[in-house]
Amino acid sequence: MENTITNREAEPVAESNDLSLVLTPLEDLRGFLFHHLGRLLLFLITSSSVIAVFLIFFFVIREAMPFIKEHDLIKFLTSKQWYPEADTPKFGALSMIVGSAYVTVASLIFAVPVGILAAVFLSDIVSFRIREIVKPVIEILAAIPSVAYGFFAVLVLAPWLQNKFGFTTGTNALNASIILSIMALPTIISVAEDSISTVGRELREASYGLGATRFETIFKVVLPTAHSGIIAAVILGMMRAIGETMVVWMASGNAAQIPAPWWNLSQSVRTMTASIAGEMGETVKGSDHYYSLFATGVLLLILIFTLNLISEYFLVSAKKKLGKI
Amino acid sequence: MKYNTRHIINKIFTVVTAASVVLMIVILISVLGPMIWRGSSAVFFKSTVEFRKMQLDLHHRGDEAEIGDEISKSEIYRDFIYHKIDVFKKGINTDYYTDRVKQIYRKFSKELQYNGIKGDQLSRRRKFARGIRRDMEKAFKSLDKAEILQIIDDVNKCKGDERIANTKADEFFVLADEYKETIKNFDLSKRQQYAQALKEVEGLVRQLLGPRSDEPLPAMVMDRYGATRVDLAKELLDKIIWKRQWVQQNPDKPMVEEKVRRATQFAGTELESIFPYIEENFDTITIPRFTFYWQYFFDDSTSGHYFGGVGPEILGTLILTVLAMAFVFPLGVISAAYLVECASDNMAVRIIRMSINTLAGVPSIVFGLFGLAFFVLVFIPFFGGPSKPCILAASLTLAVLTLPVMIRASEEAIRSVPKTYKEASLGLGAGRFRTFVKVTFPAALPGILTGVILSLSRVAGETAPILFTGACAFGSVPKSLFSQTRTLSYGSYDIAVGDKIGMLVPHNQYGMVVTLVLLIICLNAIAIFFRAKIFRRLKGH
Amino acid sequence: MPTSTIKNQAKSDHIDSVVSLSEKKTSSSKSELDCQCPVVKAENFSFYYGSKAGVKDISMEFYPCSVTAIIGPSGCGKSTFLRSINRINDLIPNTSVKGNLFVNGHNVYDKNTNLVNLRQQVGMVFQKPNPFPKSIFDNIAYGPKLQGVKSRSKLQQIVEESLKAAALWKEVKDDLKKSALALSGGQQQRLCIARALATKPNTLLMDEPCSALDPIATGKIEDLIGRLQSDYTIVIVTHSMQQAARISRRTAFFCLGELIEYGSTVDIFRNPGKKQTEDYVTGRFG
Repeated sequence: MENTITNREAEPVAESNDLSLVLTPLEDLRGFLFHHLGRLLLFLITSSSVIAVFLIFFFVIREAMPFIKEHDLIKFLTSKQWYPEADTPKFGALSMIVGSAYVTVASLIFAVPVGILAAVFLSDIVSFRIREIVKPVIEILAAIPSVAYGFFAVLVLAPWLQNKFGFTTGTNALNASIILSIMALPTIISVAEDSISTVGRELREASYGLGATRFETIFKVVLPTAHSGIIAAVILGMMRAIGETMVVWMASGNAAQIPAPWWNLSQSVRTMTASIAGEMGETVKGSDHYYSLFATGVLLLILIFTLNLISEYFLVSAKKKLGKI
Repeated sequence: MKYNTRHIINKIFTVVTAASVVLMIVILISVLGPMIWRGSSAVFFKSTVEFRKMQLDLHHRGDEAEIGDEISKSEIYRDFIYHKIDVFKKGINTDYYTDRVKQIYRKFSKELQYNGIKGDQLSRRRKFARGIRRDMEKAFKSLDKAEILQIIDDVNKCKGDERIANTKADEFFVLADEYKETIKNFDLSKRQQYAQALKEVEGLVRQLLGPRSDEPLPAMVMDRYGATRVDLAKELLDKIIWKRQWVQQNPDKPMVEEKVRRATQFAGTELESIFPYIEENFDTITIPRFTFYWQYFFDDSTSGHYFGGVGPEILGTLILTVLAMAFVFPLGVISAAYLVECASDNMAVRIIRMSINTLAGVPSIVFGLFGLAFFVLVFIPFFGGPSKPCILAASLTLAVLTLPVMIRASEEAIRSVPKTYKEASLGLGAGRFRTFVKVTFPAALPGILTGVILSLSRVAGETAPILFTGACAFGSVPKSLFSQTRTLSYGSYDIAVGDKIGMLVPHNQYGMVVTLVLLIICLNAIAIFFRAKIFRRLKGH
Repeated sequence: MPTSTIKNQAKSDHIDSVVSLSEKKTSSSKSELDCQCPVVKAENFSFYYGSKAGVKDISMEFYPCSVTAIIGPSGCGKSTFLRSINRINDLIPNTSVKGNLFVNGHNVYDKNTNLVNLRQQVGMVFQKPNPFPKSIFDNIAYGPKLQGVKSRSKLQQIVEESLKAAALWKEVKDDLKKSALALSGGQQQRLCIARALATKPNTLLMDEPCSALDPIATGKIEDLIGRLQSDYTIVIVTHSMQQAARISRRTAFFCLGELIEYGSTVDIFRNPGKKQTEDYVTGRFG
């Protein structure tokens, strides 16, 4: 850009304060350094989360490597026999993988309908005041630490189940699923409510204007429009359930078995997270057992990472869709 | 018609959604309610004199004279119980009498020697006494009442015999009468049974009243005191009064638990009277007094949390929480500031965002694995620290865990600061850095504090990540960042399933977990208070 | 200008009477209109949001110690242009400029522009009053503190002067510690003006400063602007033609990002040179 300053223009006008508008070279340099170095520094600090994720993957996989190298991965994933401390140790994680899936699905069967209905209630039905009362309930449910839920499962729920239904043990898949569904509820509700309330008033008004009842409006217009967000909510709730450790460790009974018949929730199961938590304390560092638990951790990581990508996809597509409307 | 169905469906739908929310509230109440109710009894309860004795012994709490007075008052009633038990014991365990009779014989022969009696005389008199001794021993062993009485009669006939007259041997007859008295109300055929039952009663009484004052002090602190709480004492009382047994009433039906008065078990014996006695004088024995045991939150506990409080657990939790927040707060705020103020939508930023989301989803137990594999085994040793689980490793792990929560909340807070503030500041000639520090950050602080709340409650409650990185169930108060610590979260787990002693003291189990829940709520409340204060300032009041 | 006149004028919505008054006011100084050096000067200045032009090819000058109004329909680029002068538009991502814009003879879009000094010299008052969530004192002292004024007494003095200049001193002198957000809208806007004055600028940019205020508060602000014009170069963007007529000496009419007409306020309202201007000021358009 040309810098034409005529004498006439260069004359200062106001008497108040005459600061030069031109940077001195020193100021220029300082500004340049400040700007770029500062930015770089901030960027580096910000990328600490990237570094953290990288380190997590790197170190967990590194500790799992000896196991992955020496053992048959297919067997790890398909064998039901988990005898890590036997003379001829067997590492078959299938029953744990099934256990995780089992309690997760069972908990979602309860949590998803209740969560979505509650989200609909909060966003569409109830007045602002009641909403302000219910919100803290959800927040407290989310804030209660998992170990407290586990405590409840072991000392309150388990004896109750045992006495009420005559189960052989109160710490079983049903117990764990009930607690997990309580824990997944807040996640599902808040994400689902977000996506339901971002569906604009216009759509709702259009539907009401055509004579639809509230039920019809919600089921035919609002929920279909918000479906991506709701799917993301379900997946996030699922991630919470799969990744949960203390509750399943305390409440599931920790028997490495696949329930038979498959619908029998009253049997004990063991999940991947619980087996890591329970057995890591007893392993010798550097033993096959130790590495195998890290391998289980890698499996969990991969699972969660995949679910995360899927939920991200749905959240982004929800945003895009609603953004266009 | 059609309209009606639609209308009804609509109504049902509304009710169902409302029911789901009500269900949630019910869940919250039924989870927290009993827990808080029972947990509060760890702090508010009726204590017995044993509790005050313990507080005095272990912590020098309370008025020594007053407690001594209480102890001696209850001692009177205790002595009666102990006395009855002792008497009864003699009927069962005749070793006492056997010992006595041998003792008398020894004293007798010593007396003879002392009196200078020698030779034939001596052996003749001793033989006679030995005969009495044998007879009596036989009587003590016998289970046949008639035979015993017969023997005692025979023995009594020897009274006044010149061979033993006016010697220590007279005590034989006193002893014989005593024994006669003891077995008068005693069904000798039940001796085995009584022995069993007495053992049970003695054990229960010991649990209720603590060891006797003349016993040596037990090694375990938990054995040194009786029931310290009235609720536990009542439970024991119930066990003492009632005996539970499984009875098969009908061959087809499963066994049924039945309560039997223990007094009937000892009907007709000396012991019978102590059961109503304990029941009647329960209050005078235990001296119940309402106690607010606020020291629960500061006291250390004895093994298995049998006695004492959760002080070290609270301290450990606070240390971990504060340290983790110290690590994560600057990181979180700076990251959020960068993402809002500087970042454009390029590849690097997209990767950062994806990482934050991934981090938020990683299961907590994997953080534990990571903490073990990285902080414990690599990171801390790299800087010269010991390669073992420690507070530093645990808090670093927790910091990583809560980083995404912190970043997301701060980002939202910074983003929600009105653009006009920034414009005004820039318009006055402030640089971007200065604008952020002086204007944007203060305005975003309430929101950032919300992030801190969320992170705090997450960090304080997490258990899985610290399992292998720094938590322990026992141990002293940590001395440095490189020692392990007890935490409320791990303690709650341990006391619920890990430790069998915990089962004996449900109030302490619940107390621990309620302390954890309350601590989290308290931390929240403090942060909410600050938030409200700053919010008020922003609003201009 | 006496307050009563202003108030009377505020009530009047008849343009002609307004113009006649402003004519009286400006006619006396008409001779000096063209002989002064411009403080701000735009040369073929264009501003782009991405590829869309916010303002196109503007060439105009603003003169010291007078009020210049920029009027025009919504979205015509008047705010964009105003905000380009102290480069506050830099905040918006994806923007670019063409042409030159001189402040005190320096092209502000030059690479070596000292933005801090520029913004201190060219103060700005925004559409909505935007005091910081701090005390009144801290709001005003913000700018001087940035300039390195540290002494408490000096700051006190600046705060007092600025508040007096902004005609707010009497109302707030006892509550300097109170949060600025507790003030009424009109007071807040005067506080913002005082805050801008505290950095001792020579130019004040006002972006529809009265649009969020009620008529009485508006009257006070206009009164204030009238008093400030003897010391500052004031550029004001406004929606209200009456306001432009009441307070400005010169008026520029923008439409669709272009400068349609620029001249003395009397000329613009009395004998507009262009059809568009005439349509706009007589209310047939916009």
